[in-house]
Amino acid sequence: MSQVHASPRGEPLLEVRDLRVHFPTPDGVVKAVDGLSFSVRRGETFGIVGESGSGKSVTCLTALGLINRKSALVEGEVFFKGRDLLKLSNEELQKIRGKELAMIFQDPFACLHPMYRVGDQLVEAVQIHDDMSRKAARERVVELLAAVGIPRPRERVRDYPHQYSGGMRQRAMIAMALLHNPDILIADEPTTALDVTVQAQILELIERIKEEFQIGVILITHDLAVIADVAQTVMVMYAGRSMELGARDAVFDKPLHPYTWGLLESIPRVASKGELLVPIEGAPPSLINVPPGCPFHPRCPHRFSPCDDQRPDFKDRGGGHPEACHLSAEDKRRLWSEREARRTKVAV
Amino acid sequence: MSQLAEPRTMTAERPGGDALVSVRNLTKRFPITRGIIFQREIARVHAVEDVSFDIFPGETLGLVGESGSGKSTTARLITKLIDATSGSVVFDGQEITGYSRRQMRPLRREMQMIFQDPYSSLNPRQTVGQIIGSPYAIQGGERNVRRRVQELMNRVGLNPEHFNRYPHEFSGGQRQRIGVARALALSPKLIICDEPVSALDVSIQAQILNLLEGLQQDFNLTYLFISHDLSVVRHISDRIAVMYLGHVVEVGSAEELYENPKHPYTASLLSAVPQGTGGGHHRVVLAGDVPSPIDPPPGCVFHTRCPKARMVSGSPDEVPENCRTEFPPLGEVEPRHLAACWYPLKAGEELRQAAHR
Repeated sequence: MSQVHASPRGEPLLEVRDLRVHFPTPDGVVKAVDGLSFSVRRGETFGIVGESGSGKSVTCLTALGLINRKSALVEGEVFFKGRDLLKLSNEELQKIRGKELAMIFQDPFACLHPMYRVGDQLVEAVQIHDDMSRKAARERVVELLAAVGIPRPRERVRDYPHQYSGGMRQRAMIAMALLHNPDILIADEPTTALDVTVQAQILELIERIKEEFQIGVILITHDLAVIADVAQTVMVMYAGRSMELGARDAVFDKPLHPYTWGLLESIPRVASKGELLVPIEGAPPSLINVPPGCPFHPRCPHRFSPCDDQRPDFKDRGGGHPEACHLSAEDKRRLWSEREARRTKVAV
Repeated sequence: MSQLAEPRTMTAERPGGDALVSVRNLTKRFPITRGIIFQREIARVHAVEDVSFDIFPGETLGLVGESGSGKSTTARLITKLIDATSGSVVFDGQEITGYSRRQMRPLRREMQMIFQDPYSSLNPRQTVGQIIGSPYAIQGGERNVRRRVQELMNRVGLNPEHFNRYPHEFSGGQRQRIGVARALALSPKLIICDEPVSALDVSIQAQILNLLEGLQQDFNLTYLFISHDLSVVRHISDRIAVMYLGHVVEVGSAEELYENPKHPYTASLLSAVPQGTGGGHHRVVLAGDVPSPIDPPPGCVFHTRCPKARMVSGSPDEVPENCRTEFPPLGEVEPRHLAACWYPLKAGEELRQAAHR
């Protein structure tokens, strides 16, 4: 898998191997994540894209140990700095979580306690991991709030969350994530709840932090355009599995999987008016009854004999990066260029 | 804004043909009160300020803006779900601003809405048949409701045999189809789509957008399409109006507006959209947040963040005086392309990043 990374900088920081997360429910087993492998390096933005229910968030919550293992079956390995996070006890995980591995969530409105001052919440986050006086902790908080672009941080630490705008709350959450100089920042839909102009500010901030602190960023989103703008490596997920994983340019210019093709054709692009939108037929499958073989085959226009009973391996079939589709590399090249031609012809 | 108030200048946007909806100087201010018995008004939210535009039969007018810019309030004013503070709305030749509920009722056949959240806009205790048939129950005039409902279900891509199912048995995309069928039931002239695809996954989004476009052709519908997603709005709209803090700051054809934005806000908004082409494009990051609509800035509401005003003054901390003191009228900058700006952008002009934070 090492050849897929366009800009390898050192060893992988986080390596996920054959991760499976299954939730037994009265209706059947929900296979939220089913055999997923990827790795993230320092200084890299690793984008995970997929529709709702494709297992993006569960993957990251599992890595952080935030999935209740009493109610879920977790298999596989998540290596972080030489340790398997899945084998650690809760106490050991607590020392890593929020310190070396930090996470920001989609909804900054739900992540801050409405009755405590923003500053106090951040100070508490400092003191959980560091034995530091309240005063020193407050200095650290002010410093970081300034770093993430909160104006007049010394006054604003005394504010309550409702006095912050959505963008500022997300900035405060990012400051909280950075308090302990993490190695990896997991951003789960960090801009979905925000307006485009604020989204641009936050994405730029995450990019700057990544460069400044030389951390690895895992960016989870359903927005292909965001991924295309900021990620170096992209993984496309569907029904708990990876469909395609490669360098950003490779995935967007020469996508190999029919699901990726479908996604790219169903978003209107600002740059080109009048293109035909080609939706993917049907709806994503229930994770209790994932179709046998390739999970995408019932919606795939190019399906053929092995698709409905043989699960395609996740490997490089000669297209340049690993994917999970039975079609040969030549077939993929031909089909994609045909689809591209059809799409642009309508535009003219 | 005086010259704009005359219908003549507005119809110049699209000569020939009368507008289906004409909005003139529409203003809505929500009072903020304090006290329980004696409710004193302490402030007002300037939700919609002096907004004017036309919607022509058969077209799609896109309404874009960030949250809190007044898009949905404008839609609710047009449908008279709330009353305007001042200004007028003319629908199909009738001045409806002063209409009572009873007077509005026959007109409700002609204007329908599709909402953002297909989970909360459908009654979970009613079957799909009841939901789509409810406009007939209210307005009457249909004998064979069941057959008509099944025709509609078929047209929007639902299985007509699912007539007796409940909303929870459908996926998000299918629920939005139910909402579309309900809006179509009375063959309205105008459909207001308030963020109809924002809650849906991308692959489903495209299905609904294609459905809306197909229906428009088949039934000669007029859409007011509200969305914060600029790519979606561009895809579906003929003309677009951009809102900022309650004001319409620019109106033009979709093509013109995206290729050649005149208002600095439109230009910054467009540059903030991820292009999906892999970074590297020129992005104007606006400093700060949208000001509060309770206390909007004097003069042009955008002057506090405007990069162009700072280019004109030559200093990151100063803006020209007229930007600070007077709101620029929404006037024709180019044929059929209106912008409310004292210093509209010229073709090909790029906004420099405002240095201040």
